[in-house]
Amino acid sequence: MPEKEKRSDLLQGTLDLLILKTLRPGPLHGYGIAQRILNSSRNVLDVQQGSLYPALHRLERKGAVSSEWKESENGRMAKFYALTTSGKKQLSTELDEWKRYTAAISWVLEG
Amino acid sequence: MKLPWNKERADLDREVAYHIDSLADTYQAEGLSRAEALRKARREFGGIDLVKDQCRDESRWRLATQFMQDLQFGWRMMRKSPAISVAAVASLALGIGATTAIFTFAEAVLWRKLPVPAPEQILELYSESIAPPDRLIRGSSGSNFRDGGLRVADYFSQAAVAAMTERAAGKVEIAAHIYGQPVSVSYAGNVAVSKVRGVSPNFFPLLRIHPAAGRQLGSGLEVLVTHGFWERRLQRSESAPGQTLRINNLPYTIAGILPRDFAGTSPGDEAELYTTIEQSPEFLAPDSWYRRRKDDPFAWWMQVIGRRAEGVSNQEAQTVLNAAFAASWAGTPKSAEDTPRIRLADASTGIGGLRRQMGDPAWILLGLVTLVLLVACANIANLLLSRAAEREKEVALRISLGCGSGRLLRQFLTESFLLAALGGALSAAVALGIGQLMRAVLPVGLNADTLLVDASARTLAATAGISLLTLLLFGLYPAWRASRIDASPALKQGIANSNRHRWLPAKILVLAQVALGVLLVTAGILYTGNLNEIVARDSGFDRTQSLLFDLRPGELGYSGDRLETYYRNVEERLSAIPGVLSMGLSRIRPMRGGGFHDGVSLPGGSKSVNSGFHFATAGFLPALGVQIVAGRALTAEEVRAGRKVVVVSELLVQSLGIRAPLGAKIEDSGKNVWEIAGVARNASYSRLTNPMPVVYRPLPKDIPSVTVVLRTGVPPLSVLPAARHALREIDPGIPLVDVFSMEQQISRTLQRERMFAWLCGSFGVLALVLCAVGLYGLMAHSTARRTPEIGIRIALGAPSRAVLRQIASEGMALACGGIILGAPIAVYAAHIAQKQRMLPEGAIPYWTLFAAIGVLLAAAFAAVAGPAMRAASIDPMRALREG
Repeated sequence: MPEKEKRSDLLQGTLDLLILKTLRPGPLHGYGIAQRILNSSRNVLDVQQGSLYPALHRLERKGAVSSEWKESENGRMAKFYALTTSGKKQLSTELDEWKRYTAAISWVLEG
Repeated sequence: MKLPWNKERADLDREVAYHIDSLADTYQAEGLSRAEALRKARREFGGIDLVKDQCRDESRWRLATQFMQDLQFGWRMMRKSPAISVAAVASLALGIGATTAIFTFAEAVLWRKLPVPAPEQILELYSESIAPPDRLIRGSSGSNFRDGGLRVADYFSQAAVAAMTERAAGKVEIAAHIYGQPVSVSYAGNVAVSKVRGVSPNFFPLLRIHPAAGRQLGSGLEVLVTHGFWERRLQRSESAPGQTLRINNLPYTIAGILPRDFAGTSPGDEAELYTTIEQSPEFLAPDSWYRRRKDDPFAWWMQVIGRRAEGVSNQEAQTVLNAAFAASWAGTPKSAEDTPRIRLADASTGIGGLRRQMGDPAWILLGLVTLVLLVACANIANLLLSRAAEREKEVALRISLGCGSGRLLRQFLTESFLLAALGGALSAAVALGIGQLMRAVLPVGLNADTLLVDASARTLAATAGISLLTLLLFGLYPAWRASRIDASPALKQGIANSNRHRWLPAKILVLAQVALGVLLVTAGILYTGNLNEIVARDSGFDRTQSLLFDLRPGELGYSGDRLETYYRNVEERLSAIPGVLSMGLSRIRPMRGGGFHDGVSLPGGSKSVNSGFHFATAGFLPALGVQIVAGRALTAEEVRAGRKVVVVSELLVQSLGIRAPLGAKIEDSGKNVWEIAGVARNASYSRLTNPMPVVYRPLPKDIPSVTVVLRTGVPPLSVLPAARHALREIDPGIPLVDVFSMEQQISRTLQRERMFAWLCGSFGVLALVLCAVGLYGLMAHSTARRTPEIGIRIALGAPSRAVLRQIASEGMALACGGIILGAPIAVYAAHIAQKQRMLPEGAIPYWTLFAAIGVLLAAAFAAVAGPAMRAASIDPMRALREG
């Protein structure tokens, strides 16, 4: 299926940014990322938890995150994702862009 | 081994399971039962399969996984119709296998470069002239052929070689060699037969070939052996260099072993041993012609190769060589035009006459086998087209669900790939099998190892390459067509789509197939017919009940009186064997495929007729079974006394225009005058295909080896034990060499024709089968698709005979169309073959074309009958219900 459609999806891009941001403090497994993002924004983002994974896998393929199987807090093996150097760079540029974007939007809306 | 994409899939399953478990854990902690918690967790997670699918789309291995899926899918599709799949894979395997085998052969004959540095600098020298120079004597090493009005020969006198070596120094380096006869070699107690080539000391340095072990040839009794000989005969002994190898009972020191990739100076070269010319067995044999004649400027006997220096053009090389040659040439040409000139031939792919002998057959076989491959490919293409048609609905569904056409194209190509891979893998076995069969029919005197397919990387590469080519040929168009369906009408119309337009490509393919089939079947019949005609040709003598073998007392040092006594004993003892009617000795083996040729003229006459010479005893003509039509045979006394009398064939009498042959005199090129005592019926001399005048003259006394011809009243091979016994009693050290009945001997000279006939015949059969399969496939498929339509017609009262006739005539119309297209092509091809002298001159035997058409029509009828009968017996009720 064509990839272009997915990339142009606004939510998709935002999800990438959220994932990268969530991973900044340290490595985390998919479940943990989902809880952090979705629990804290449950009312805003009406997304099912599973939709996180395609984004994670895409980021991994692009080299923004790396993964590793490790024991998690509940004693079971889980796949932990961590930011790579290029992922950190991507995060900072996307954050900057996001800030400019929101600033512009709010300037228009409030101005 | 776990494939990376399988591991990834398992990881994804675990990852998702972890998420759902963890989520369920929290719900359970909130007080839900485990089952409820899991249900809620799954709901919260969303469509698990969809997520997994999306993740897999992000995978690095996406293409590989899809490829594997496509392969599995393709495999399932093939299993669904096993008969068709087996037929498809089998026709591909046969087509690719045959192509690989022939391609390898053609590559070796036509294109393979000599394994030497800068092979493009290597030249082969010929002399060309309108007529042979007077007084010329040529050695038995060497050959000549005609090129238009010119006689081209590859032999030179030693004086010419010396002159060219000196005058061309710095521009062209010159080396000489002579072809050898079979010799017996013994090493560490093992005796074998091999071939020696005598070479000038700078032969290998000129080629820039250095022995892999040991050193180059010195001046003593030394021999270089090929790598193959070292492996087979010297047991790969590391210490072989420096040891003794006995050749014709002479002790040669092994100087060195030639490198592995050097298999001779031309593909098919049988020489395994190299000595210097002066130390070659030919030269050292008692009473060697070469030794006696080596300084005679009229004895031309050396073959010559050269290497152009860097920057020297062919033209320049020819000019300098020609000047040197002309200066050395002390002949007396009849006119300026008779003066032999140097002709240079590119020898980068090897020297010698192999390409002259096998080049055209190789090209023709390559062309024919390519056509066979095309016919096979047409079958596969048709199979894929029909399969794509069956899947139209499925494909339409997939397209409307958003499957891209690129993805579909890839899937269809993968299925073709599967076919090509299976066919290709099997074809390697087919190629090796054909190689084995070709080995059996390869002309003698050629080394099969260097010419035919073997289990090597070269073969694998050829198979893979040809498979890939066929994949592109048969897979691309059907895949492109199948992936480009307009989804909505296909979905709406469903199965009963009787769009006539759809069958057009398939019909064109079958038409082309049958057209090529006409050509291939005609070629098969033509060449097998040609062989049969040659075999049935009158040899001029009784070829049954005759036995041939060689004796070589000269190799054991017999000469002079001792040799004469030996031959007399042989004659007496062999004649006395019960069952032997007559026996004769001859210097030249009849029907050997070569012999001694010389120009014969009337004394003082200017017209010279090229004739074959038999040097024979009095018993030879009766033993061979040639009738005397006038005069008498030679007598034993005349032979013993060496009288200058001959028996000549009728053809010679005719050619020289002799009115009263008996008592007439003729002259050979050495100005010897002979009196004709008798005239014999025309008889083949060296080959059935090559009628020529023959002169039977007395056998000289000092011949070191002879062929014995026995005529028997019983099956010829049955007198062999008694003959062996008698000869062992005379001298147990002299073995019988090359024992054949005359029938076997003749068939050996026809091996080129036989190989060609055999291969062409096989291609014809193959093409016939492939055409029938193609036509059957198309008719079976198209009637199956039209079952509802036919059902309606039968329900409306059409008699089943009408249906039968309609389907049958549709199929036969296709076959006839193909034949009409193919017949002129076949006739045109026959003309070209005639022009290339691959077919005997004269009118093209049109019966072969009609025979081919008849066979094709019969095959087409057999192929069409089944589908037509099935269509006629359609049960209208069932057809309508299922449609």
